Amino acid sequence: MKHLKATTFLIAAALAAPLAAQEAGGRLDIVVQPEPPGLMLGLVQNGPTQLVAGDIYEGLLIYNTDLEPQPGLAESWEISEDGLTYTFKLHEGVKWHDGEDFTADDVVFSADVFLRETHARLRASLAYVESVTALDPLTVEFKLKEPFGPFISVFEAATMPMIPKHIYEGTDFATNEMNATPIGTGPFKFDEWVKGSYIHLVKNEEYYIDGLPYLDEVYYRVIPDAASRAVAFETGEVDVLPGGSVENWDVPRLTEMEGVCSTGEGWEFFAPHAWMWLNNREGPTSNKLFRQAVMYAMNREFMKDVVWNGFGNVPTGPISSKTNFYSDDVTHYDYNPDKAKELLAEMGYDGEPVRILPLPYGETWQRWAEAVRQNLTEVGINVEIDSADVAGWNEKTSQWDYDMAFTYLYQYGDPALGVSRNYTADRIQKGSPWNNVEGYENPELDEKWFAAATMVSPEERQAAYEEIQKEIVDDVPVAWMLELEFPTIYRCNVKDLVTTGIGVNDGPRNAWIEK
Amino acid sequence: MTALIATLSRVVKAAATLLAIAVLNFFLLHAAPGDPAVVLAGEAGAADEQMIEQLRERFGLDQPFYVQLGKYVGGIVQGDLGYSFRQGAPVIDLIAERLPATLLLTLTAFVISLSCGIALGVAAAARVGKVSDSLLTTLALLFYATPLYWLALMAVLVFSVWLGWLPGFGYETVGSAYSGFARALDILKHLILPALTLGLFFMAVYMRMTRASMLEVSTADFVKTAKAKGLSGPVIRRRHILRNAILPVVTLAGLQAGQLVGGAVLTETVFAWPGIGRLMFESLAARDYNTILGVFLVSAAMVILFNIVTDIVYRIVDPRIGARS
Amino acid sequence: MSMWKRFSSNIGAMVGVLLLLTVIFIAIFAPLLFSHDPWQMVQRPFLAPFTMQALPLGTDTLGRDVAAQLAYGARVSLLVGLVSTLVALLIGVPLGALAGFYGGYVDEGAMRFTEFFQTIPNFALAIVLVAIFEPTLASITLAIAIVSWPPVARLVRAEVMSVRKREFVDAATLAGLSKPRILVRQVLPNTVSPIIVMASLMVATAILLESSLSFLGLGDPNAMSWGYMIGAARTVIRSSWWLSFFPGIAIVITVLALNLIGEGLNDALNPHLSRKGKA
Repeated sequence: MKHLKATTFLIAAALAAPLAAQEAGGRLDIVVQPEPPGLMLGLVQNGPTQLVAGDIYEGLLIYNTDLEPQPGLAESWEISEDGLTYTFKLHEGVKWHDGEDFTADDVVFSADVFLRETHARLRASLAYVESVTALDPLTVEFKLKEPFGPFISVFEAATMPMIPKHIYEGTDFATNEMNATPIGTGPFKFDEWVKGSYIHLVKNEEYYIDGLPYLDEVYYRVIPDAASRAVAFETGEVDVLPGGSVENWDVPRLTEMEGVCSTGEGWEFFAPHAWMWLNNREGPTSNKLFRQAVMYAMNREFMKDVVWNGFGNVPTGPISSKTNFYSDDVTHYDYNPDKAKELLAEMGYDGEPVRILPLPYGETWQRWAEAVRQNLTEVGINVEIDSADVAGWNEKTSQWDYDMAFTYLYQYGDPALGVSRNYTADRIQKGSPWNNVEGYENPELDEKWFAAATMVSPEERQAAYEEIQKEIVDDVPVAWMLELEFPTIYRCNVKDLVTTGIGVNDGPRNAWIEK
Repeated sequence: MTALIATLSRVVKAAATLLAIAVLNFFLLHAAPGDPAVVLAGEAGAADEQMIEQLRERFGLDQPFYVQLGKYVGGIVQGDLGYSFRQGAPVIDLIAERLPATLLLTLTAFVISLSCGIALGVAAAARVGKVSDSLLTTLALLFYATPLYWLALMAVLVFSVWLGWLPGFGYETVGSAYSGFARALDILKHLILPALTLGLFFMAVYMRMTRASMLEVSTADFVKTAKAKGLSGPVIRRRHILRNAILPVVTLAGLQAGQLVGGAVLTETVFAWPGIGRLMFESLAARDYNTILGVFLVSAAMVILFNIVTDIVYRIVDPRIGARS
Repeated sequence: MSMWKRFSSNIGAMVGVLLLLTVIFIAIFAPLLFSHDPWQMVQRPFLAPFTMQALPLGTDTLGRDVAAQLAYGARVSLLVGLVSTLVALLIGVPLGALAGFYGGYVDEGAMRFTEFFQTIPNFALAIVLVAIFEPTLASITLAIAIVSWPPVARLVRAEVMSVRKREFVDAATLAGLSKPRILVRQVLPNTVSPIIVMASLMVATAILLESSLSFLGLGDPNAMSWGYMIGAARTVIRSSWWLSFFPGIAIVITVLALNLIGEGLNDALNPHLSRKGKA
């Protein structure tokens, strides 16, 4: 068995960096912004929590930058011909941070008990799951009710984190005292959290892949002010600025410094897609012509260059070009203010003012809303910027109290996981800012979304999604703004930091520091 | 006996004020748009009705408003500041964790600003009308007119980024394993910039006040008497003028010291100082009601505490007051 | 020497008046001075100052004219400063006057109320108020007024108490004038000068407060103000210093001017101090 472990290690190492010899030891300081509300990945899955807890908890699979599944806690897996049975063979000798063995029972508990109760996003996928069974201590079988194309993509750490059964079984999950000192199987163990300052993780000496991780410890630093975060990086206090932790305008200045590298990779799995919800229920935005006019009125390329400093891509529709089943055979809305004015005249726009609600995530988003206001004003639309803090934004969007509202969502590698949730009528539910908030209803298209999700062959799915994209882009249910790109900035002597499709979230596992 | 009754009535009044603050803020916060359950669910990265219902129930938000208020006030009376659902910890723990940092920052800033302010004010008053007086006064005016956060940004830029003399943010070197004296020294280094930027504004205030007060008192009759007795300038200034001139400064300082505790939000944000001001600001965006209310209560308690301390200092500086009351 | 003469012979105060008049002039004539509005993107972003004649102070993150932003920002800053001070006076003066004039339970009640507001941390309260009512010019102005009236009430109370004891008030009482009439006609006019001094300083403080709120992201997104400019530019302070420098200087100058005027007024209205000052 020792032999097998060594081979796995070699494969992992080969995938990571074939040329240099890794050096063990050292400490990595990574910015985390904002401070996560908690670290129990089964309960909270927001960005900062994923970043930190991604080192503590693991999923059955890892996804590379081409979104292909790779061994994680499962060393191999099989999918039956009919696409209904998924069998995972678990890695041997995996231990929880408290020394207990990780077994198939933990997988069953996590997927079938814990996450079914706590994880709203996974719950939608688990609806397709008929049973989860431990065949033996190292083998787990998921049986589906009907084929679900993207099912192989739901085993990532933040989507289906493995939860220790021996700690949570029979307790009230949300108030379990162990939530404060999370126990996972990951390469790093939780050590200390000084609120408002830092979270300290230490190397898991018992990690099931020999030699990994290389780092001794990781500090996640909480620095509330964007300018201070940039200073922290400049003065050498921190080594890694994960995407989005400094404003885009600061990126060129920092990357031009000596010994500083940056990469746009590591976001493929999430493929953050930004758009404005256009309220389809009332006001001018309920008119399709108005929505099309908005698309033509905006110089999205200019906004990308100026507001986002050139980072990202202007999207053609609901599916990111990085996500599977993308198609660009759709109507393109290039900047055309005259066309916008024509459309407005055609609909008989009477100057009724519309409100824009920016995302309260810093100056970039504020400037973005201002640029949109400027463009829309130029074609004769009356615009006012609404303002709200994070809580206000959540309230207004989830209670549908807006005309145009900025947002961005992760796509999770597959349209059925991260895209259709924003456009099908069954996802029109008050109270959540993560569903069909714009209130777009198109029953015909709904059928197509559902059908595409349950097809088995990728070719069939590609054809189905191409048709969907073509149709929905003409309706403009929302105004697609940008495929966001969040460059990760780090010191060049930190090697192999971004090796997977979720980038820094599981980066410290393979990362090492060149001395 | 009268002193005891006076103290008791003070304590009762203070408690009533605190309770009133709790109730007022409870109303204010619950009037705010933004539902903590929706925010928390939203932050989790996905949400549905089931999750939001679960959270509401857990927070007690499904109960009528008066029940929530009653429970909260009931808790306060027993010294329980409630539970922060967002941070998963009792509010009192969260504040206890952060309060020392805030106290350290504000008290240092306070001591610096008061001592330097009075010293400079006395110096300026002694040289009234001369160039050095104008210089000091102008400088104080400048500090007074400069936005605090702007000064903080500039200070970080100069002393931390360009010169590299002092750390630009944080409370101590993270993971340094310093202990004892080395740790104290490390914290001190981190303290200098925030304490100075926070202190400069108040130093300007106290300096201007001391100067004005010194000049006002120096026209009083008893000063003329002292001069007639042939006492030297410095002696008069120290024994007669300063002692009387300092009273209004102390009063104001006492009022402001308490305010500093809750008012260091800007400094704490720019310098990533892990204090309660930042805790409050961050909790506000999450509608973490209990934490915000807790910070308000603790800060208000500090204001009251400082007022009492001011009173005591007052009696020491001016013995006549004790005799009068 | 008349009050006005004393004031006009004070160099600092005159400098203050000159500076403030300049700021007011720019604020009023902003639309004539600049053909474009401050939100309009006119050139490439991050244009350094003094490189283009048409854009003497350069452009901001979106390529908007910084000089135009400063001019329009003066309107908002002055407006917020003035209106919030007025509102604070409207709350503080009557409350303080009643407390000082009637004494007893009225005084006790009013002072409890004032103390209550002084006990709540000011800046924190302002933040909460603005966040709750959502940042608009009105909510910001109101929040600033709510946190700044207590010192007015205390000042007016003290002044009224001392004026009340003077002979002319006794004379008015003997002449059979009603109490409210005495308060409004006889007592209050005698407290005007310290109130004016305080008000000039309050406008200055309000401008600082507005900019601090904006800096924290609690500004009105539809109103160009100096605080907004600094808040928006703080993340690029290293690469584009002028974006936070110029509005910072504008705030310093305006606040300084108001303080100089306030001090000048104070000296002019309390002549024994200024005379001493020149001895």
